[in-house]
Amino acid sequence: MLGLLEHRDVALRAVSAACKLVSRRPYRPELNEFRMHVVSAVGEAFNNIVLHGYAGRNDGVIEMEIRTDPDRITVELRDYGDSFDLDAVATPDLDLLPESGLGIFIIRAFMSIRYRPGRPNVLTLSKCLAADPKDVPKESVPRGNPSEGDS
Amino acid sequence: MTFSISINEAGVIRLSIEGELDAVTVSDLRAEIEKLLMRQIGRVEVDLSQLRMLDSSGVGALVSLYKQVRARGGEVVVLGLRDQPLAIFRLLRLDRVMVGAELKTPASPSPSKHPSSSS
Repeated sequence: MLGLLEHRDVALRAVSAACKLVSRRPYRPELNEFRMHVVSAVGEAFNNIVLHGYAGRNDGVIEMEIRTDPDRITVELRDYGDSFDLDAVATPDLDLLPESGLGIFIIRAFMSIRYRPGRPNVLTLSKCLAADPKDVPKESVPRGNPSEGDS
Repeated sequence: MTFSISINEAGVIRLSIEGELDAVTVSDLRAEIEKLLMRQIGRVEVDLSQLRMLDSSGVGALVSLYKQVRARGGEVVVLGLRDQPLAIFRLLRLDRVMVGAELKTPASPSPSKHPSSSS
């Protein structure tokens, strides 16, 4: 799709629909929060590409690939705009009520993030849905935290 | 996104925002906020009960409103937050400063259950 803000809604609707595929039980209560977090993070990533990677351009392209597995979603966004240094993005001081610079913070809070600059730049966001207690026999509940840094 | 502004007899300004407040729509709201700030301001109530989606651009506009109203001696209270916008407010800890009492996150757990004073 074109890297225009007007196309973001289409991308987010696809992501929102895909979130329903990660659970075998479609009405798990935690699925709603999972979907909110994923849509929020992908929305911020889309904004960043359009507003920074393709700043001043209206001919940019964003390729989006969504993979769903049981209890996990992965969204890959590829663009051909300016790259950025993910490690150099500062954590905002929330006590100062910042008005900008919050996008990467929101993405990191809601999903795991990987970034590979280049042609194309590849931003990979992933998130696990916590194991459904109804699918796990009590005697085999894992002792460790099954999540992978996702909040 | 659609929004409406009303002022009651006590001079309280109510800004109601519906739909999506994000990078696509925020410029419309910012323009209206600029007009709003030209008048005498006391209390501003921002009703987000019909807001479905809020991103960092929308947050920037709301925080800007909050700071400018406070700088003029007024106050901003956000009402009706739920779902995704509430998750964003809580993540960015805005619920501690801008949100009506019904949704405020306490700064720290209360050690005991003393009856609170109303003063």
